[in-house]
Amino acid sequence: MKKKYSLFPGCLMPTEQYAYELSIRETLPLLGVELVDVEGFSCCGEPMKSVNQLLTVYLSARNLAIAEKHHLDVFAPCAMCHLALTECQHILEENPAMKERINGMLAAEGLQYTVKRQVVHTVDLLYDQVGIEKIKEHVKKPLNGLKIAAHYGCHIIRPSEIGRPDDSENPQKIEAILKVLGAEPVNYPQKLDCCGAPLLANLPESALTKTGQKLQAIQEQGIQGMVDVCPWCHKMFDSRQTKAGETVAAKLDVPVLYLTQLLGLAMGISGEKLGLELNLSPVEKLQLGDVK
Amino acid sequence: MSIIDLTSMGEPQSDLRKELNDRLTKLQDEISDYCFQCAKCTSGCESHKLLELEPHKIVALLKRGLLNELVNSDVIWTCMTCLKCRERCPQRVAPVEILFALKNMAVASGKQIPGKYTGMLQSILSMGLIQDIQQTTTRTNKTLKRDELGLPPLSKPIDVVKFQAGIMKIAMEKV
Amino acid sequence: MRRIGVFVCHCGINIAQTVDVEALSEYASHLNGVVVAKHYKYMCSDVGATLIKDTIKEFKLDGVVIASCSPRMHEHTFRRVANDGGVNPYRVEISNIREQCSWAHSNKEQATEKAKYLVRSAVSKALSLEPLKPSTLKVIPEALVIGGGIAGIQTSLDLADDGFKVHLVEREPSIGGHMAQLDKTFPTLDCSSCILTPKMMEVANHENIELLSYSEVASIEGSIGNYTVKIRKKPRYVDVDKCTGCGDCATACRLKDRIVSEFNQGMGKRGAAYMPFPQAVPLKYVIDDKKCLFLTKGKCGDEPLCKKACAPGAINFDQKEEIIERKVGAIVVATGYDVMDPTAVYEYGYEVSPDVITTLEMERLISSSGPTKGEILRPSNQQKPKSVTFILCVGSRDETQCTWCCRIGCMTALKQVYLLREKLGEDVEINVCYNDLRSFGKGYEEFYRKVRGLHTNMFRGRPSEVRTMKEYLKIDIFDTTTNKLFEIKTDMVVLVPAMMPRTDATEFARLLHLTLSGDGFFLEAHPKLRPVDTFVNGIFIAGCCQAPKDIQDTVSQASAAASRAATILSQEELEIDPLIAMVDEDVCTGCGICVEVCPYEARTLNERKRIAEVNDALCTGCGGCIAACPSNASIHKNFTKKQLLNMVDDIM
Ligand code: SF4
Ligand code: SF4
Ligand code: SF4
Ligand code: SF4
Repeated sequence: MKKKYSLFPGCLMPTEQYAYELSIRETLPLLGVELVDVEGFSCCGEPMKSVNQLLTVYLSARNLAIAEKHHLDVFAPCAMCHLALTECQHILEENPAMKERINGMLAAEGLQYTVKRQVVHTVDLLYDQVGIEKIKEHVKKPLNGLKIAAHYGCHIIRPSEIGRPDDSENPQKIEAILKVLGAEPVNYPQKLDCCGAPLLANLPESALTKTGQKLQAIQEQGIQGMVDVCPWCHKMFDSRQTKAGETVAAKLDVPVLYLTQLLGLAMGISGEKLGLELNLSPVEKLQLGDVK
Repeated sequence: MSIIDLTSMGEPQSDLRKELNDRLTKLQDEISDYCFQCAKCTSGCESHKLLELEPHKIVALLKRGLLNELVNSDVIWTCMTCLKCRERCPQRVAPVEILFALKNMAVASGKQIPGKYTGMLQSILSMGLIQDIQQTTTRTNKTLKRDELGLPPLSKPIDVVKFQAGIMKIAMEKV
Repeated sequence: MRRIGVFVCHCGINIAQTVDVEALSEYASHLNGVVVAKHYKYMCSDVGATLIKDTIKEFKLDGVVIASCSPRMHEHTFRRVANDGGVNPYRVEISNIREQCSWAHSNKEQATEKAKYLVRSAVSKALSLEPLKPSTLKVIPEALVIGGGIAGIQTSLDLADDGFKVHLVEREPSIGGHMAQLDKTFPTLDCSSCILTPKMMEVANHENIELLSYSEVASIEGSIGNYTVKIRKKPRYVDVDKCTGCGDCATACRLKDRIVSEFNQGMGKRGAAYMPFPQAVPLKYVIDDKKCLFLTKGKCGDEPLCKKACAPGAINFDQKEEIIERKVGAIVVATGYDVMDPTAVYEYGYEVSPDVITTLEMERLISSSGPTKGEILRPSNQQKPKSVTFILCVGSRDETQCTWCCRIGCMTALKQVYLLREKLGEDVEINVCYNDLRSFGKGYEEFYRKVRGLHTNMFRGRPSEVRTMKEYLKIDIFDTTTNKLFEIKTDMVVLVPAMMPRTDATEFARLLHLTLSGDGFFLEAHPKLRPVDTFVNGIFIAGCCQAPKDIQDTVSQASAAASRAATILSQEELEIDPLIAMVDEDVCTGCGICVEVCPYEARTLNERKRIAEVNDALCTGCGGCIAACPSNASIHKNFTKKQLLNMVDDIM
C-alpha cells in the first residue's frame, strides 16, 4: 500500500537545513512514501511557546487544519514541529472549549480543525510505516559495521504521556534501522541528553556547551559517527560543531549525518543528491560512497 | 491568616497562583500541588548543570504563591525544554510547563523578552516562519541557496494580511 | 560402659572453612566412651537427622554429642532427633563450635585444636547426663485480657469465638480506649465509633466474655497454663444489675456540667454521676468518688439528688472495693499508650495559649458527639478559625523527649486536614509543618497525595517556637523546600504529640515479670519472629503497649496474640521442661534463702519437713537459687556441679 503524507517542513529545515530535506525527498519516495507539497504552512509555533503558548497552539492548529483541508496526514521531520503538532492535537481533543475558541480564530483564514489526523516523524515513518523489511530490500551498499551513535532528540521521545514516536527511556527504532543498513549502533550513556538548541535564542554560549559535552563524550568513546533526526539538533551537532568544541576546549571531529542521509547512502544514492556537501562535520572520514 | 516570606519580604500572590494553575490545567492537566519535593526533576535537569535552574524549587515557590519573584527572575529563561522533568516526575508534575507559563506571564506583564525571541516573532508576523531562506556554506566553502539545490518553493502563508490578523488577535488573549 | 556418638556439622562452610571437620571427627572417635564419630554438611537438615537416627540404631548409642552451632539455634531440633532415634532427649549435648569457635577465629589449625577441646569436654558431660522426663501440667482453658481498647477487644472476641472463656479487665468505666475518642479513621475515613461500637456491643453480649470494667489487676501468680489472677473491682456506686442507663442521676447531679470531661480531652464538662460517652460499654452510669460531694464531704445538700432521681434505686453509696480471683491459662496484655503531654515541649505554647491544642483535642472538636457538636471553633473566642497550622513530630524523633516515631502522627494530621477542609471550606488557610512525611500503610500515600491537592501549605521543617500574640499565634518556619524563612500568622495550632508508654508501665511490667525495651514499651520475645510473645511463657502483648502503631496494625497484632494464646489454651496438658532446679533433701537445711532469691516465686518452704521445695510449673531454670544456696542443696538438673567441673577439667 502506498503511503501518502503532506510534508510539513516547518521553519528551519526549508530555510537552512537543506540536507535533511534533500535526503528525505531522495529516499522516502523510493520506499513507497508519497510526499505531497502543500502551500500555506507556517511555523509550527513551538519556538514561540516561551512567549505565548496560545500562539503555539494556534499556529499548530492552523497547520493541522491546512493538512486536513487537503485530507492528508502529516509528516513533520522536525522534532519540535512534531511535538507542537501532537501536543496541539492533544489539547484540542481534551479540551473542547479550547478547540472551539481556536476554531473561531481559524475561521478568518477559512480553516477548521475537526479530526485528529496522523502526525508522523521520520523515525516512526521509517520504522512503523515503511518497516524494517522494506528498508532491508532497498539496501544496496551496507555500511560494513560502522560504529554509529543515535541521537533521538528530546522532543520526539518526551513527554510519553501524549504519545511519541519512540520510547522515552529506551528508544531503539533508530538503532534497528541502523542495523539493517549494516551499521553497528552503539549504546552510550549520554544517549538521551539534550542537544542544547532550545537555548540558542537567548543563551547561545550555554546551548553550545551542551552540544560540545555530548559530542565530546561520543568522541572519547571512539564512536565513529552520529546520526540525528531533527534540523535543530543537526544545526548544533553538525553546523556548529567547531564552535561547540571551543566551549568545551576540545577539537571535535565527529561526523554527523541525518539518518536519512545515511539511509540514502546505504541505498546507493550519491552523496551529492543527499546534500552531503552541506554537512560541515568531517563526514568524509567515514569513507562512504562518493562522499569527499 | 497570612504567610509572609521573611527571606525576601514577599507576600504570596494567590490570585496569580490561581491564574497560573488554571492555565496549566487547561493545557496539560498539570497540578503542581501534588509535588512532594523529591527533586528528581532537578537531579536530571539539563540546565541545572550549566546554569542555576532548580525546577523543584520553582514548583515549591509556585505552591507557596511566590510568583512575582519567579516572573521577575532570569532563571526561568534558562530551561532547555528537554522535558526530562516532566517525563520523570513521580507525581506527574511538569516543571517545564510551569516554566513556560511563567515566561508567558513575564512577557504579558511587559518584561523585556530576552534574546532572539522578538526577532523570530516579527519574522513569523511578516512571512509566517521564524526566518527567511538562508544562504548555506558547504564543506568546500561554496555558498548555496534553496533553489540552487533543486528544492521546490517554500511553503508559507499565502494571504499574509489575514494570517497577521489571526496572530494579532491571539496576542490580545490569555490562555 | 556408655556408648556415645559424636556428630560434627560443617554448617555449609561456616564451620568447615575454619575447623578441619574431618580431623575433628577422627579425633572424637578415639575419645573415651565414644563408639562412633561422623561429620556431615548440614546436620540440621533432613539428611543429617536421618544420619543421626540411623547411627544411633546401628551403634546402639545411649548418648549424643553434636558439634555445631549454638544450642539456641538447634538444641530443640537435635533433642527431637535423638528421641526419634531412641536416645533420651536430655542425653544430648551440644558443643558450640560455630559461634564460639569457627566464627571467632581465623587460624584453621588453632581453631581445630580449640574445637577438639570443646568436643572433648562435651563428651565428658554427655557421659554423666541423666535421662530426664518432662512433667506435665493441666491447662486452664481460660484467658485474661488486660486492657479494653481496640487491641483488647479484638483479642477477647477472637478467643471467645474460639470457644475459650475470656476475662477482660478494663480500668476505665467503659471499654473502647483511644479509638472511641476518634471521629474518623485514616485513610478510609470510616467513622471510628461506627466500626468500634458493634465490637464493643459484641464484647458486652458474648457468652464467653466476662467484662470486668472499672477494674484493675492486683496480682498474678502461677505460670503458663495455670495463672491465678487477683482483680480489684473499684466501686461504681451504681448497682450495674439495677442501672438501666437512663441517665436521670446525671441530669440530677448537683455537679452537672461542672467537672472537666476526660473523654473530651478536657474540652467538655460532665457531672459527678456520669457516663463517659454515649456509646459506653457497659452502658451503666458511674459516680466519680474523687468529685462526688456525698462521697468526698459526706453531704450533698439535703440528700444526694442522684439517688432521689434514680427510679430503680441503683445508686448505692455503700459499695466497697472488691477483690475477685480468676484462674487462667494464658494472658494477653493490651494496655495501650499515653499521649505525651505537650507542655514538655514548652516552646510550642500549649500551656500559654488555649488555641494551641493536640490532635486528640482536635479529634473531639471534629466529632459530632464532641463538646462543640462537630463545629470547629477556636477555643479562645469560640469563632471559626481562618487559619489552622499543624506541627508534626512534637516530642517525637527527639533525643530529648521520645526518640521514636509515633507512626500515626503524619496520617492523623493529614486526616484532620482533610476533615477540616471539608468542614471549614476552601477559604481557610491550612498549614502543615512536617519533618518527614511518613505515609507507609496501604492507601496512606494515596491519601497524602489527595490532601496535597487540597491547597494544603506544606512546610518542610520544624518551627522553633509558637508565639502567642494578642490576636493570633505566630510561627516562624524555615522551609527547606524553598530555602526561605516564612512567618505564619494563624488562629489555631494543632500539635501532633508523641506516643508514650503508659506512665505505670514499669510497675505493671514488674507485676507480670515482663521486660521493657529501652523506650519503655513492653519488649517482644523477638522483633521479627516472635512479635507478640514475651519472655514469660503464656503472656502475650498486643497493640500500642508494645510500640506505637495504627489501628490496622493493632488489630492484626491483637488477632495474632489471640491465636498465640489459643495455641496454649487448646492443649489439655503442657509439658514442663525438666531442666530446672531440684532440692537435695538430705543436704537442705531449710534456711529459706532460695525462697527469697527466686524471682518467679517457684520456691516454698515445707515447714513440716523443714526443707525448701520447687514448684516445677513455676521454675524457669534461671539458676538463681543454685548460686544462692549456702549448703549446695540446690541442684540444677543436668547442670550439676560435678558435671560442670568434669567439663572444665577436660578443657584444662
Ligand atoms: S516536580 Fe516532580 S520531580 Fe520535581 S520535586 Fe516535585 S514531585 Fe519531584
Ligand atoms: S525541561 Fe527545563 S526544567 Fe525540565 S529538566 Fe529540562 S531543562 Fe530542566
Ligand atoms: S451525690 Fe450529689 S454530687 Fe454526688 S452524684 Fe449524686 S447528686 Fe451528684
Ligand atoms: S531456678 Fe530457683 S530461683 Fe530460678 S526459678 Fe527455679 S526455683 Fe526459682
